Amino acid sequence: MTRHLLRLVWNRKRSNLLIAIEILLSFIVLTAVGTVAVFYVDNYRKPLGFDVENIWTVALEMNEEGRTSVTEQSDGEAAPPQAAAAARERQARRALVEQLLLTLRDMPEVEAVAGATVTPYSDNTWTSDIEVGGRRYRYGASAGTDDLARVLGLRVTRGRWFTSEDDAAAWRPIVINDRLAREMFPGKDPVGQFVDETRPGDTAPDPANRMRVVGVITDYRKAGEYAAPENFVFNRARLHDEKSEAEPVRDLVIRVKPGTAADFEARAVARLRSAAPDWSFQAEPLPQSRESALRLWLAPLAAAAIVSLFLLVMVAMGLSGVLWLHVTQRTREIGLRRAKGATVVNIRRQLVGEVMLLTAVATAVGLAIVVQFPVLEVFSAVSPFVYGVSLAISFACIFLLTAACAWVPARMASVIQPADALRYE
Amino acid sequence: MLRSYLKLAWKILWRRRFYTFISLFGIMVTIAVLVVASALLDHTFAPMPPEVRQDRTLGLFRARLVGKDSIDSTAVGYRLIDRYARNLPGVERLAIVSQAQTVLSYVGGHRVESRIRRADAEYWRVLDFAFLEGGPFTDQDVAGGSFVAVISASARDAYFGGAPAVGRVLEADGQRFRVIGVVSDVPATREVAYGDLYVPFTTQKTDAYRRELLGDFYALLLARSPADFPAIKSELASRLARAELPSREYDHLYAFPQTYFESVADDVFFDDQADRSHPERLLAVMAVAAFLFLLLPTVNLVNLNVSRITERASEIGVRKAFGASSRVLVTQFVVENLLLTLVGAAGGFVLATVVLWLVTASGVVPHAELALNLRVFGAGVAAAAVFGLLSGVYPAWRMSRMHPVEALKGAVR
Repeated sequence: MTRHLLRLVWNRKRSNLLIAIEILLSFIVLTAVGTVAVFYVDNYRKPLGFDVENIWTVALEMNEEGRTSVTEQSDGEAAPPQAAAAARERQARRALVEQLLLTLRDMPEVEAVAGATVTPYSDNTWTSDIEVGGRRYRYGASAGTDDLARVLGLRVTRGRWFTSEDDAAAWRPIVINDRLAREMFPGKDPVGQFVDETRPGDTAPDPANRMRVVGVITDYRKAGEYAAPENFVFNRARLHDEKSEAEPVRDLVIRVKPGTAADFEARAVARLRSAAPDWSFQAEPLPQSRESALRLWLAPLAAAAIVSLFLLVMVAMGLSGVLWLHVTQRTREIGLRRAKGATVVNIRRQLVGEVMLLTAVATAVGLAIVVQFPVLEVFSAVSPFVYGVSLAISFACIFLLTAACAWVPARMASVIQPADALRYE
Repeated sequence: MLRSYLKLAWKILWRRRFYTFISLFGIMVTIAVLVVASALLDHTFAPMPPEVRQDRTLGLFRARLVGKDSIDSTAVGYRLIDRYARNLPGVERLAIVSQAQTVLSYVGGHRVESRIRRADAEYWRVLDFAFLEGGPFTDQDVAGGSFVAVISASARDAYFGGAPAVGRVLEADGQRFRVIGVVSDVPATREVAYGDLYVPFTTQKTDAYRRELLGDFYALLLARSPADFPAIKSELASRLARAELPSREYDHLYAFPQTYFESVADDVFFDDQADRSHPERLLAVMAVAAFLFLLLPTVNLVNLNVSRITERASEIGVRKAFGASSRVLVTQFVVENLLLTLVGAAGGFVLATVVLWLVTASGVVPHAELALNLRVFGAGVAAAAVFGLLSGVYPAWRMSRMHPVEALKGAVR
């Protein structure tokens, strides 16, 4: 049966090739949009790793000299830059940030406040990589103060979050997420392990730059629900360290008591403004940041989906039109088969079968193209599982679509009366 | 000749309405998508009020400090503009404006987010804002750091419930500004003009910005004529080559006067050396994207056209038998297909108008007034012509190659 169909398809190879190309292109469009959609859905059901409700973030703009400032004596504007002066200013900024945290903690609605460098859903990202034991690990990172885990509701699964215990440590304490722990320390307890960057030619690790894992948190997806899981590292942010040269954190995170009204924000910002009149504050409830971040994720997908939907409707109409014309051209052939005893069902099966065969050939080529993406890891965040599901959905959709397009012409063909059809000869 | 082709084509359009409808639907959707895309691009890059002198304006959108180990790249700092971009030959006016920044206000307990721009007085002369009330701030306001603000119509709604605003005071980011003018809203797609509050740049909380080479400012250079552009570019480049750098960490300072489109192209195709911009690369990427999008609709239309050959078999047979050459037939069928695509494009324009109206009404792009204009219309017609040619040539060639005898015999219906 299939061999016979193959011959029939081959006999009309030129017009069938065009139809196959059309099916192939539709298949690729479907798979592309489907993969993104499946990727989102797959990510959405994974744990987020932090709380959203009852949390506010406040971004600080310190209006300070940047590293691209030029200062000259002749301008009479400022003293020449000196490393010591710059360090003193950083120290002062850190002290002010600490004072802001205290100011907020005094408010009755506030449960806890903390500082961070990268807050959930923000545009800021900090990605880094490190080579350990000949393997390179990429990770997202943020600094956080000792209260950040409590404020954001980070779930510590092993070890602990930063505490004042770490003040005396001779290394840099870090908290990593489960994913990185699994990757870096398979089968071992990550807590207490040192992470040393190994570069060719290194003999002993620099003690001040040694990182040591003090705790592990669940997976943490800073970019939100639709983002792929990533490796994440928290560094400890210290505000009251005399020796430190570090820049202070530029984001505050506030957890308020449940039921706190929205007007809390105005009062909190007023307090911050009077404590640091030269700075600017950008406060936002985390649910609101979440909403706008998710909209940014969804908008391109929605636009692509709408355009693809129109394209598929266009293809469906075009395909059924073409198949309809093909049937009318083959009236004589069909009449002859009917005269030789083929049943209505036989004819229908033949016509739909031809189209299914074409679809199978086209999607096989499409599969060969699409499969390159997971094989070559073009988008490393997208897992083979996601590709698999989206391919399965695309196969189902495209076969349903072409079968539906073939069905109506096939029905029409099968009602052809042999006598009428043969009269044309 | 052409007239008879068109007449024939029109007749054929009406002969098999179902297929004509299917073809037209595909063309309509395709053209509508392309028109909507070009309307969005037009709304972002093309001149429109208040940027009415865009043809002779260049912007400094981005400055780069390049060192051996690092590249810093952000908007331009005040010091760079003040020190190196003033009094360039051929420049009639220099305007300074910051990137739009979100600031918070609390009006009667409600949170109001506004986009603030800090500008100089020249900004109002380089751009042509439509004032609904009052007027712009002056050079004296800027020099004296007066806390005055020009606000947008929608900011007037947010702060004052739409009542006349001039003379009233608003609070933003902890600073109090007296409103001296109200301008009509500018779409959020306009990088140098969009904003809710426009205030003198000297009202910043600290004066640290004055010493920055890289910061958050744009400079707009209004040239006497576009012919002065090369001289402006080379003079600024030679001044920056001698510029005083903040530290030994850096070797070079770059900032290029360019159009906004060129600066976007630069950001997309980031180039270390950055001695010239690459707008043609961005254009190429856009053309390839449009072509890829056109692929499926084209194959669809080719399929329909090829399938309809048999429908025309008798006509082709007769014409061939009477000596029509293949070339004449090809021309005829291509013209026919072009007519079809143009009719479809007309529908596409209607559909696109509806979509643009929906996008405008939805507020996805704040203050956008998306609509068809001559440029967008031209782009749509060009797209339809390309589409018509692409999808018409192969079927026409197939038709013209039909054997006359077979064509006459195969003339089933």
